[in-house]
Formats: sequence, C-alpha cells, structure tokens
Amino acid sequence: MKTLEEVLNDWEAVIGLEIHTELTTLKTKMFCGCKLEFGAEPNTHVCPVCLGLPGALPVPNKAAIQSIVLAGLATNCDIEKHSMFYRKNYMYPDMAKNFQTTQGPVAFCMRGHLDLAVDGKAAGERHGLDSLEPGDAVENIERTDDGYVAHVGITRIHMEEDAGKMIHIGGDEGRIAGATHSLVDYNRAGTPLIELVTEPDLRTPEEARLFMQKLRQIFLALNISDCSMEEGSMRCDGNISLRRRGATKLGVKTELKNLNSFKSLHDGLQYEICRQAQVLEEGGQIYQETRHWDPSQKRTIVMRVKETADDYRLFPEPDLAPYDLTDEFIENVREKLPELPDQKAARYQRDFGLSAYDANHLVEHRFTVGFFESGITEITGITPEQVRAAEKGEAALPKLSKETRKRLEKLAKPLANLTLNDVSAYVNANPDVDLAQSPLTPKRAIELVELLADDVISSKQAKEVFQAVLDEDKDPNAIVEERGMKQVSDTGALEAVVDEVLAAHPDKVEQYRGGKTGLLGFFVGQCMKATRGQGNPKLLNQLIAKKLG
Amino acid sequence: MAAAASGAFAARSIPEIRALLTGKQVSAREIAEDAFARIDELDGSVHAFLEVTRDLGLKQADAIDAAIAAGHADELGPLAGVPIGFKDNMNLTGTHTTCASKMLENYVSPYTATCVERALAAGGIPVGKLNMDEFAFGSSTESSAFGPTKNPWDENHVPGGSSGGSAAAVIAGMATVSLGSDTGGSIRQPGSFCGAVAVKPTYGVVSRYGVVAFGSSLDQVGPFARSVEDAALTLNAICGHDARDCTSQPVTTDFTANLNEGVSGMRIGIVPQFMNAEGLSSEVKAKIEAAASKLEGLGANLVEVELPNAQAAMSAYYVLGPCEAFSNLARFDSVRYGYCAPGHKDLGGQYEESRAVGFGPEARRRIMLGSYLLSSGVYDKYYYPAQQVRTLITEDYQRAYEHCDVILAPVAPRTAFKLGEISDPTSMYLTDMFTISINIAGNGGMNVPLGLGADTHLPVGAQLIAPAFKDESMFRAAAALESVFGKAPVAPAFAPTAAAGKEA
Repeated sequence: MKTLEEVLNDWEAVIGLEIHTELTTLKTKMFCGCKLEFGAEPNTHVCPVCLGLPGALPVPNKAAIQSIVLAGLATNCDIEKHSMFYRKNYMYPDMAKNFQTTQGPVAFCMRGHLDLAVDGKAAGERHGLDSLEPGDAVENIERTDDGYVAHVGITRIHMEEDAGKMIHIGGDEGRIAGATHSLVDYNRAGTPLIELVTEPDLRTPEEARLFMQKLRQIFLALNISDCSMEEGSMRCDGNISLRRRGATKLGVKTELKNLNSFKSLHDGLQYEICRQAQVLEEGGQIYQETRHWDPSQKRTIVMRVKETADDYRLFPEPDLAPYDLTDEFIENVREKLPELPDQKAARYQRDFGLSAYDANHLVEHRFTVGFFESGITEITGITPEQVRAAEKGEAALPKLSKETRKRLEKLAKPLANLTLNDVSAYVNANPDVDLAQSPLTPKRAIELVELLADDVISSKQAKEVFQAVLDEDKDPNAIVEERGMKQVSDTGALEAVVDEVLAAHPDKVEQYRGGKTGLLGFFVGQCMKATRGQGNPKLLNQLIAKKLG
Repeated sequence: MAAAASGAFAARSIPEIRALLTGKQVSAREIAEDAFARIDELDGSVHAFLEVTRDLGLKQADAIDAAIAAGHADELGPLAGVPIGFKDNMNLTGTHTTCASKMLENYVSPYTATCVERALAAGGIPVGKLNMDEFAFGSSTESSAFGPTKNPWDENHVPGGSSGGSAAAVIAGMATVSLGSDTGGSIRQPGSFCGAVAVKPTYGVVSRYGVVAFGSSLDQVGPFARSVEDAALTLNAICGHDARDCTSQPVTTDFTANLNEGVSGMRIGIVPQFMNAEGLSSEVKAKIEAAASKLEGLGANLVEVELPNAQAAMSAYYVLGPCEAFSNLARFDSVRYGYCAPGHKDLGGQYEESRAVGFGPEARRRIMLGSYLLSSGVYDKYYYPAQQVRTLITEDYQRAYEHCDVILAPVAPRTAFKLGEISDPTSMYLTDMFTISINIAGNGGMNVPLGLGADTHLPVGAQLIAPAFKDESMFRAAAALESVFGKAPVAPAFAPTAAAGKEA
C-alpha cells in the first residue's frame, strides 16, 4: 500500500466526524431521576423510565439541556430556541423502549465551527502547503508561519440518550453472532449524550485528531463530561471518502468505528485513506459500509454493508412537547461559560509573555492549567476567579506592584517549563495523583523556579530538587541548603578553576584558538566536573570565552 | 352474603357512601367486602374484571376504618370508601397489567400509575383491573385476549370499547366509579353503549404516567360513573400536574363547582354535519334532538356551528394513532418481560414469533400500519398531512367556540351492537366517527346517558364537547341533562333488588 503522503498527492481525502459525548458530570439520567455512575453493580441505577416499562414517560433533564447549550455556545453554534425530540425506532435489546429519543432536523445547536491551528509535523500531512505564503487563504485554510489554521464547520450538536451495555457470551470476539447468551446492563441506558456532527471539512488524519483533541479540551473546560475515550464517555466515528485532486464530486464514503484514542483516530483514518486509494487505483469500487478499526492488526474490517439507508422511522416524540428555550435561559447559560482554552492561551501569551507553543500546550490539560495558574496566583496574589470576574467586567483586577510585575516576568516562563516538563512527566507516570494534595505546593513550586531563575541552582539540579520535594515533603530552599547544592557564582573562585582546567589541557586550548570554538562546551564540562556540578555554567561560559578570547 | 348484597354499596353514589361512612352506619371494610361479594356473584356473566384486587381493597378499607376510629373522619379523602376499578392498562403495584393481551398475560406491575395512585390517595377502594380491547385497539372489548365483556343491559350485546370493562363494571354496580382511557372514543363510546356518565377530559388534565400508551398524543384518562357529580368528584381526585408526565397541566378546577348552575344563557352548539351524518340511527338522532330541545327549555340558546374539517379526523386518526402505537408497542419484544416464544436461538426469530403470537390481529394490524406509515418516502405523504389536518381541526373547534360554550353531538351513531356483529375493521372504526375529532383536537368530551333508544331499548348517550381546559362547562350542561333524563341506573338485571333475587 502507498504511504499517506503518496496517496494525498493524487487524492483528496474528505473526512467528517461524528462525536458522541456522555454528559458524565450530571447527577442524573436524561429522562429520569436515576443516578449516573460509571462502574456500578449492573442494573442498580434503573427505574421504569430507563427500563422502558409499559406506561413510563420521559421527563427531560434541564441540566443536560444547559450542558448542550454550553457546548453549542463554546463551538460557535446558533442555539435553536424551538427544537423537538424525535423517536428513532430500531429494535435491539440494549435499547429498552426499542426506540432512542433523539432530535430531528432541528437540533439545540446548529451551524457552528472551530478553527484549528495545525503546525509542526501535523501540518506536514496537508497537501500543497508549500506553495502558500503566510496569510494566503485557500479553501477552508489560512497559511501561518509554521503551519495553517483550518476552519472546520460543525453541522449540529443534538441531544440524545445512550443505550445500555451488552456483553455477549460464547461468540467470536464478543459479537452477538454465535453467542450462547447475552447480558444487558441498563445502568448506562438513558445517559445524556450529545452528538456533534462536523461538516466534511477535514482533509488529513492529523486535522481529525486535532479537532477531537480541541473539542475534548473545550468540553473538559466546560466540565460537561469527563471525556474519557478509554471508558467510552467520548466516542468518535469517522466518515471518509476520496476524490481525485481537482474533482468536486464526492466519492463513496465508508464509516469507521472504534476510533477510541487519538492514536486510533489518526491511524485508523490513515489506513482507511490508503486502503480506499489502493482499491480505487486497482479499478475497484468503494462500498458504503461500516468498518471497524482493529489497532492490533492495524487494518479496518467490514462490520456491515449498507445497501440502503437505514430506515429509523423518525417522528416527533409525542411524550415530549416541543422544547422552547427562552432568551433568558440562553443568556443564563452564556453567563456560565468559562474561559475557553483558546482564550486562555491568548491570555497567557498576552499577560505572561509565553510563547504560543507553551501557551497552547498549557491549556491542553486541566492539571497543567491548574498547576500553572496556582503558581501565578502565588506570585501575584490574584486568583483565577478574580481574573474571570474582571473579564466579565464585574470587578477590576488589583494593580500589581512594580516589583511583582518584574517577578512575574522573570518566573512565568520557568513556571511554564516546570509545568510542561517535570510536572507533566510526573502526572503521566502517576495518573491517579492529585497535585493539590501533593507536597509540591504552589509556594514551593515558585520557590523552585525562583532558585532556577536566579541561577542559584542549575536546571539539572532543579530536577533533583523537584523529585526531593515530592519524596521528602520539604521546601526547595531547605533541600538546596542540606545538599549543598548552591551554584558557585563567585567569579574569583570560578576563575581559579578555569585557570586550572585550561592549564591541564594545553592541546585543546591550542585547537580552540585555531578556530575549533566548539570546544567551549568541553571546557565548561571540565569546570563543572571540577566544581562537582556546582559551578554556574553561564558564568563559566563567559569566563572561559574571555580567557581564551 | 345476604347482608352484603342488601347493602350493594358499589351500586350507590359517592355522597351516599360518604354519609354512611362518616355517620358510622357502615365501615369501609363492609363496603369493600360487599363490593367483592357482588363481583364474585355477578361478574361471571359480564366478565368486566381481569383481576380482582381483594387484598389491596381490604387493606385500603382497613386503613380508612383505622383513620375513622382514630377520630380523623373529617380528614378522609374525597373518594374514601368508594369502590373503584381500573382499566387494565393502568399500572398498580403488585397487580397484573395485561392490557388484555397475551403479550402481557404474566406481567406484574412494579409501580403504580399516577391516576391510580391519586385515586387511592383519595381513599378509593381498589376492586380490580378491568377488561378492554387488546392494548385499547377496538370499540367493543371483543379483541381482549381473555374473552369479551358483555353489556349489562343485554348480554348478547357488546359494552363498547375499548374501556368496555370499566363501563360494564359501573353499570352492573360492581364498582361505584372506574377509570378508563380514551384515544379515539374509548371512554365515551362504551359510556354511551352501557349508559354511564363517561368523561374524556382535555388532553393534559390527567397524568398519563403509568398508563400503558397507545397513542401518546391522543390518550387521556377519565372516569366512569352513574352520576355527573360522581364523575366530577372522581376527576377532581385524579387531575392536575404530575412531574412525571410533562404533557400534564396544572389543572386545579373543581369540576363540581357549577353543577347546579343550570344552562340558562348557555350557548349550545349543534353541528349539522354530525346530526345529518350518514349512518346515524334515527333513535339516536331523536334522543339528541330531544336533549337539545330540553336544554333550550332550560334556558340555553341553540346555535349551529360548523366543523368543516371534522370529516378528515378519521383519516388523520388512522395515521397518527397507528404511528404512535407502532413505536409505543415496540418495547414488547419478549426480552425483558412479556410473552416469549420458546426455543429460538437467534434474536430475530425470537422477536418475530413472540410478537406474532403475543399480539392479537388488531394489534398486529396497527403495528404494521404504523411501521409502513412512518417508513421513509411514505412518512411525508401521510404523517405530515395528518398533522396539518390536526391543526385545521383544532382551529375549527376554536372558531366554533367563538359562537358557543359547549357542543352537543351524538357519541356513537347507534346503540350497542351484538357480539360478533361487526367483524370488518373499517366498520368498527366508523363507530368512533363522532368522538375521534375531539382526540385529534385535544379538548374534552363526555357521554351523558339519555335513557333507552326507542327501537333497540338500549342506552343512548349525548356527547358534550367543551373547549380545551374548560371541561367544567360540559359538566355544567351534563348536570342539566341529568336533571331531565335522570341519573344513570344500574342495569336492571344487576339492580340490587334484582341481584338479591338472582342470588336466591
């Protein structure tokens, strides 16, 4: 099979996503009062409504409607004031009523979009980028210095309920075919679910992955779901078709399932694009079918051929009156909108002088945001809540003293580095850790980055101190004191060391003077060795350069 | 037994029972035992009951007696000590709720419907679950999987349907009042056939929670009684908003409030196209005309009103009803409860045979019809126009009520037909020709008994149709008609004296 790059030279991939998100942060189900809880004893959170018992009726969960309106506002959707629930009729034992309550042609949220910043390696998948200059706009993208921004349309976000969970016993690969019996757990039945459908605006697997990642960040910031792809609270299906470069007519699409991690989403789409290209180039035909991505075999396999469109006999749910949202309701929800990742990243760049790269990565995770912002609060005394209130125009921010401003300027960048490197590595290695409860308090974090920023310790020593704070639950200053780690920044003392080192390596000195200036690092290393790692490397650099110059 | 039969409390009115109870002339236990004795004695021939709830009834009676003994007689609910029966599509914890279908023959309710819960909270003594057409599909109670109910006036005739058991139980004096449900006439038509006051309130007056759905946008629960006052008292007890049914409305009307007001100055609408309808029998027409002139005699003004689109109601109904029924009945799939055909190794086969055997012919017909009407390509041709017709009919009624306060019309084109007489589904559907447009529009309608027809000597009823959420205006006119035509009697063969004779 050809590589993705080869395929995309000749073919344009047209990708659309359907993303289901369970509103796991709600207390109760979509149409009844049953508790939402992942991993509870099977069939313990059920009632006549979510079991579809005869006579039971649905009552919509207002908090879920709030959540979907939040999702719509955060993704630039129009909020439809007059929308309806519909019944989607199909028979399967995981759906107790044998119809799913969902929405019809008009969903709560319509016509939204997200702008994706695609840069670095990710941008490499986009065809024809090299011929564009920064600022050039083609189709739905605009070229930037290090990549491009893609405008991705969102068709709609609608509200629906999840089905129960089935486990098939005795069949192949847990499938119903050949199973001797099947078990159903209705705890999940009736879980509020929002389905976001994108326009077919995505062109590369990287764009799809970044879209999903960005949406996940937004939903996490909105706190409407735990967005766990592993546990299935956020699930993604991809629709893919190919057309020859320059063609306008869409090809036959396949639907890809089981894209349950960012890697699967990327790799599954990549495989499917290459597979379709091979079929088409060999004169074959793509069938409209549902395919399953098998990450262990690294291929997609046919699940179901769709000869005709499914007939779900959709009709308005007569048990639920049309749902009218008032302006007041929508405005109240808008008030609840938190600062979104893009806004946050922009603020980090503006207020703390961070690079776009650092800012964008800091806002990727809740723990990085939390750690970074509590450190900032430690410096400035201003809480994120105060920042939020100021942005809403409710209260002015306290003015920072000149001294604090200087300190913020000095410490923000090393704080961001600490967060993105040491703290991220620590959390990735210990996923269950709660930073707020760890020995690494904001005060200690600032103490640590200040030691580093003031050149009291080297970055290598900082890593040691970071680990020691966690292991020994002590202040960084105390650790530095105990271990005698203070950098030697006394010029006199260092000069003596430099002289000694230069005297010991006359040949190298000769070579350096002969133009081999790369040897500077060697001399610094020798000096560091002589000071047992405590010499200030910056100072040593300067001293050596001066002496040899 | 003789003492119990002589009491025949279930054949008395709610105020009479209340007076006896609060005057300590009789205990709730005696009332309940008497009611169960009458059911044992009389239901064999009528077959109004699918289940008799003796234990629940006696328990409730004892609780009432305990409250009276504790000196709380003045806190008794409005239905205290009143024997009440429930159509078998209403859930009551611990009872079978079969919808008269083999599909649910062994289904025991794990919860209680709001209307039942409210009737019991008001002190009603539950006497049993009442026969009906299977899943309420029918107009004669003949489609019950457990055998038809007989009309207490003449056991060769049907009681009407689908709430035939609810009408027959009250008219045989086996229950003082009962609850039924009406999707296209299923309360009013059996009320007419059996001679009971039978009320389908405006959609939303009574919660549907716990009532097995047929057509969710059409179904409404209402009472059967032998007097307008008893019907009003029962509706008072069960109406109002229910947090578990978001189509229920915050109705707090006292439906007894204007029963003695009379009809002086009231504008009674007559619909010429109903009065001149093909198929309307002369004895029914004569009774309705008599009712009109009596109301006029009592000071009401008769006005002619037009419902130009009402003739399309039947067509709209047989699109919307089956569509909703198809979807509502999809849950009966043999997997979690209900009839399950044994021996199937694959899901599809189990679904198909269980549903083929579990559902009767009319249920299968409506499921097939709904499934077809909702399918892609067909939906636009039928479902959408039917909804448009619905809007037109609703507007017709709104315009008519600019000129009148309540409409007087026939309920059924004829009196009760014989068992087995109508076998063609379309002819059966036509028995609802005067009732269906009210379900389509959503407003309230009720049957008021006018005595027996001149030709068949079977009960004839008038339909009073109120504007939406002005159900009290039809109660007002109904009380006036009752003052002329008399309260609905227990059918002669079941009148307490006759019953005592039967027993002897």
